[in-house]
Amino acid sequence: MKILVALKRVVDHNVRIRVKEDGSGVETENVRHSMNPFCKHAVEAAVQIKEQNKAKEIIAISIGPIEAKDVLLNALAMGCDRAILLKTEKEQKIEPLAVAKLLKIIVQQEKPDLVFLGKQAIDDDANQTGQMLAGLLDWPQGTFSSKIELEENRVNVTREVDFGRAKISMPIPAVITADLRLNVPRKTALPMIIKAKKKPINIMEAKDFNVDLQNRLIVERISEPPKREGGKILNNVQELANIINELEAEK
Amino acid sequence: MSLTATQIISSLEKILDENSIIFTKEKMQSFLTEPRNRFHQPALAVLKPNSISQLQEIMRFANKYKIPIIPQGGNSGLVGGQVPLYGNELIVSLAKINKLRELNIEEGYILVEAGMILQQVQNIAREKNMLFPLSIGSKGSAQIGGILATNAGGAQVLSYGNGRELCLGIEAILADGSLYNGLKFLRKDNSGYDLNNLLIGSEGSLAIITAAKLKIFPRAKFYETALIGVKNLNIAYQLFQQLVKKAQKRLTAFELISRFGIAIQIENKLINQDFISLQSPYYILAEISHFDIEEKEILTQFFEIAYEKNLINEDSIIAQSMAERNEIWQMREQMSESQKFAGASIKHDISVAPKLVPELIERGIREVAKINKNIRPCPFGHMGDGNIHFNFSQPVKMEREEFLSLTKEINQIIYDIVLSLDGSISAEHGIGQLKIDLLERVKDPTAIKMMKLIKNSLDPNNILNRGKVLKL
Ligand SMILES: Cc1cc2nc3c(=O)[nH]c(=O)nc-3n(C[C@H](O)[C@H](O)[C@H](O)COP(=O)(O)OP(=O)(O)OC[C@H]3O[C@@H](n4cnc5c(N)ncnc54)[C@H](O)[C@@H]3O)c2cc1C
Repeated sequence: MKILVALKRVVDHNVRIRVKEDGSGVETENVRHSMNPFCKHAVEAAVQIKEQNKAKEIIAISIGPIEAKDVLLNALAMGCDRAILLKTEKEQKIEPLAVAKLLKIIVQQEKPDLVFLGKQAIDDDANQTGQMLAGLLDWPQGTFSSKIELEENRVNVTREVDFGRAKISMPIPAVITADLRLNVPRKTALPMIIKAKKKPINIMEAKDFNVDLQNRLIVERISEPPKREGGKILNNVQELANIINELEAEK
Repeated sequence: MSLTATQIISSLEKILDENSIIFTKEKMQSFLTEPRNRFHQPALAVLKPNSISQLQEIMRFANKYKIPIIPQGGNSGLVGGQVPLYGNELIVSLAKINKLRELNIEEGYILVEAGMILQQVQNIAREKNMLFPLSIGSKGSAQIGGILATNAGGAQVLSYGNGRELCLGIEAILADGSLYNGLKFLRKDNSGYDLNNLLIGSEGSLAIITAAKLKIFPRAKFYETALIGVKNLNIAYQLFQQLVKKAQKRLTAFELISRFGIAIQIENKLINQDFISLQSPYYILAEISHFDIEEKEILTQFFEIAYEKNLINEDSIIAQSMAERNEIWQMREQMSESQKFAGASIKHDISVAPKLVPELIERGIREVAKINKNIRPCPFGHMGDGNIHFNFSQPVKMEREEFLSLTKEINQIIYDIVLSLDGSISAEHGIGQLKIDLLERVKDPTAIKMMKLIKNSLDPNNILNRGKVLKL
């Protein structure tokens, strides 16, 4: 079996996001980036399958600026075998549909049995790429997965959905997107980092793939969420009761 | 003339409103129980003044009637300085004197009142993309007043210094209620004694700190954080030396962690199970701060070379995101508290020159094993500044009380080694009531004499933290 894992480089989850003064977007210059956390779960899932000898090769792919090489290296250090970078321009934003179309071309070239993605990227929170890719390929999709079980020619996926968990069974090939409960991604061991540097990363230009990379959406304005008002420490229960009464009266 | 408890309370009621005086047993409890659960004396009352002037009035009153006062911050101190010794003391909590007075990014300082909690100071700085680098396991409760009164250190002392070095000025109230203003900061000021530095680290025995001006720094753009497995302590020190040379001030942490401490945390599910593959006897937590995102990796490269030279083990990890960095740090910060999952422990907070850390630990472990080879050593701490928390957990098959009865013997062994290595018997946590006999025994007699002279002249009635720090 061969698994393709798609992953995105995003502003690190723990960095305080700052909105640009003109409201055109968020600051990404001179800000720490790392692998989108959901994608990390996808990589971990693929590596675990390989460790159980159920997969022969894992290919990591990212679409993004040249710096995305760093997150591909991270994926290689976690245990992927080789990597592909479809390079974009530095500030270029690419929407999920274009990403899905690019991925489709790579899928057709590489012919993986499974494609893993994060359920969404924490920068745009679109939650679309996996679904669009499955649609374009006309493959079944198991989204928001918290458990993946392989059978002969089939894959069972437990999905995290609003009303609980749904277990589905799909024929292979299929697209699977990873949720947080899928696994605990490993930290990267130093020897693996050294090894990763020797694994191949094939870099190609995204614009050479004959896919329309134009954005359809126009971002009108990005703004900070409203500031939360600080809490207040009260002296006794009576004060709390008074405040509740006041609020009730205001209603 | 001395007052009865009732007289004292009714006089205080003229100074403070009723919400600011606590004297029922249940309500006082949280002010009396300290982290190590070692000291169990009651207090006469807990006072929570709202303002500096109320605090001054309390002190004038207490000084007149010679009532012992205990300044208390977040009650996270580890040597019993902030809790009663006699049972008749008034605890004065700074919790309500906690305002932000000024934040000055250009000049790089924040001026806060003593009751502000450390984490809040960190957060205010962070909001402005600045850093207040002092950080300790008790950051959610410890207050700036307490931090300075104990001259707390923590993990980033290596490049930013401890409480003292991060403090540009303080304001404090003396035993007689007068207000000392040492907040103005000048690079050059040789007009008399350095009183700020006298009050910092005096553990509430000379004055009550009411406000402080603290240094803040630009925040690093990214960190390289590594958890490195080593075969022995000599290698750990060797790596430290080389890394300091390479990274200099950018090396913001070099911490030592023993495998035993990690094992307790795994066993009790205090950290992610992927730490389980860690099998080396000791780990180093090293961190380098980068101030430009374009800067090249230093740490990863350094350890790659060390690995190829066979100096470090396979189970070394390099954080690939801030989340992973935070997980590693969380593990480090939980070292102290998680030890209680392994039963009773006997702890030492000591320091020696960094190059003597391996000798200190190896000798300590060897000597203590002679008492009972099943005692489980758990040394960890700030290797980069020679400060080790040299702790011992009880043997699995021994009763708690039996183990604790060895405290004196084990203390003696460790402190003797420390003294033979020219180290300090209290690196970070202070003297409080816990180490008062020890200090008298080991400190230079002239130093003790000077300290007593200072104490007597600033607090002639001995009302501030009576019976702590110095034996009068
Ligand atoms: C989990 C944990 C981890 C810790 N890690 C570290 C560490 O890494 N490094 C380190 O140095 N320490 C560490 N400590 C101990 C450290 O000394 C305290 O956490 C902190 O410095 C004390 O602050 P506090 O506000 O809680 O003071 P308290 O505990 O309330 O008081 C401590 C002492 O200061 C005096 N004091 C308090 N406020 C004032 C004031 N406003 N004016 C005058 N005197 C005052 C008290 O009388 C007492 O003597 C740790 C403690 C815990 C519980």
